[in-house]
Amino acid sequence: MEAPAAMRGSPTTSAAARRPATTRTLACYLLPIAIVAALPLIPFVNNYIIAATVRALIFISLGQAWNIVAGIGGQLSLGHGVFLGLGCYTTGILFNRYGIPPWIGGWAAMLLSLAVAFVMGSMTLRMRGVFFALATVAVSLALVQLSRHYVDLTGGADGLALKFIGNSLWAMQARSPTPFLYAALAFVVVYYWLTRWILSSSFGLEMQAVRDDEVAAAAAGVAVFRTKLLGFMLSAAMTSLAAVLYMQYYMAIDPEAAFGLSQAIQLQLPALLGGLGTALGPIVGGAVMVFLSEITNWGSTKIGVEGLDILVYGLMLLVVILRAPNGIVGMVFKNAVAGGSR
Amino acid sequence: MTVPALEVKGICRSFGGVVALRDVSFAVRAGEVVGLIGPNGAGKSTLFEIVSGNLPPTAGRISYFGADCTTMPPHLRRRAGMCRTFQKVRLFDSMTIAENIRVAASQCLPPGRDVRDEVAGVLAQLRLDALAARRPAELTLADRKRVEIGRAIAGNCRLLMLDESLSGLTHEEAEGLIAEILMLNRARGITVIVVEHVLSVLAAMVKRLVVLHNATVVADGTPTEIAHDPVVIEAYLGTKQSALR
Repeated sequence: MEAPAAMRGSPTTSAAARRPATTRTLACYLLPIAIVAALPLIPFVNNYIIAATVRALIFISLGQAWNIVAGIGGQLSLGHGVFLGLGCYTTGILFNRYGIPPWIGGWAAMLLSLAVAFVMGSMTLRMRGVFFALATVAVSLALVQLSRHYVDLTGGADGLALKFIGNSLWAMQARSPTPFLYAALAFVVVYYWLTRWILSSSFGLEMQAVRDDEVAAAAAGVAVFRTKLLGFMLSAAMTSLAAVLYMQYYMAIDPEAAFGLSQAIQLQLPALLGGLGTALGPIVGGAVMVFLSEITNWGSTKIGVEGLDILVYGLMLLVVILRAPNGIVGMVFKNAVAGGSR
Repeated sequence: MTVPALEVKGICRSFGGVVALRDVSFAVRAGEVVGLIGPNGAGKSTLFEIVSGNLPPTAGRISYFGADCTTMPPHLRRRAGMCRTFQKVRLFDSMTIAENIRVAASQCLPPGRDVRDEVAGVLAQLRLDALAARRPAELTLADRKRVEIGRAIAGNCRLLMLDESLSGLTHEEAEGLIAEILMLNRARGITVIVVEHVLSVLAAMVKRLVVLHNATVVADGTPTEIAHDPVVIEAYLGTKQSALR
């Protein structure tokens, strides 16, 4: 049987009418990528601006990873710092101790995160709502203590600093932030398309069904626990891969920066601000978050008030919760409710 | 002898000290349309949850086309063709109507059949084509109930269990939905179990009624037999006149 018109698109849509729309859509995607990629070529753009952009892109990709489990899957993981920490520490330890480059260490970190996510998810994903969230917090707090305890391995509370060997593609190290700009941009683009693909795939629909109503999802034939676990593992793998870039860029990690609650909140902010469950949300939210943070940092230095950025984060979150529960994207595009593919 | 579509044998369920179901047994033949009625608190919803796998029975056994499914999880029952709707409509609110149906079709369709074709077929059969791109919040209650039935039958449906699907509808809407349910029964050979409060609503739809009262089956027969059954009249309907109204 032929698909109904509503599934195929408007019946009046001709190839000629579609062409400008396709060109416009392509331009919408390519223009921001081109602008970010061309930043180092613009005369007034200095390393400070490039570094801020890299920070924004890294947090966007971490937010995109969290958006998979929380935005699309509806599982409020407050302990996603676990996978950021595992990614950072694994690549750092493998490089410092054994000279294994992050190109290989990253995959090891991803496999370790998958294993931890499998165990953690198997134990916690049968819990619902706040209990699951609290269980993930408990795991991340436990890892803060463990990473402080095993000083020989992790550097303890002082943290772990990567050995710097100068500009090296093999070691994924550079003095300038520019190479990281392209690497982080690549992450964001790949994660964006991955999110789009998930949203429109059968697996994405299963995740959204579970998020909307677990009982109804099971009544539609969805294996609820398996879907939650796969979503959690996918998100963990994405987080740990983005964490490799985080580690190579910042060159150091400590227990609080890896597994701490404030870091976990920073992982969530891009998606929460931009729009949970949308592909575009974490990009918009991450950009707003980091650039606002840069401005407030500058402002707090000028007026001599410390922690102004944290205050601004809190205010932003309050405004979004109260005024735009679907985030900035949801506010701008009326149809981009959770589950939309914008 | 043909194997019943559903056989419930000695089902018991207690919540602490409260007995919700006591030794409930009945069978439904393949292709039959059966009504399950009873006053509030009779145990209809508990039985429904046990049959669909959301609640384990304290004792008893459930067979589905001859296979024991007492401990089978709900999603596997659905994939095997045991489908249900909910008393309060539960659609996936963030998805379009077509996507709501696609979720079930992609999980339950036998290999070799196309999901898009199945979704299109279900939409056409329930006259939901024009609403395919809308979201549940934009639909009337009657349309939402039809979508829920569409999601229930998508893919593979051999037994359809409807939990008060007619409540809250106008007379015309209820008649339309009844016609569609009977059409599904005839066209797809789907066995149907309907849970309702009101006998007069079911009388037009089913040839057999099972009556639950005080956690147990008190009567099983045709609507006319049930309307004249003294136990039912005393326990549930009050008077013969009110039963037939």
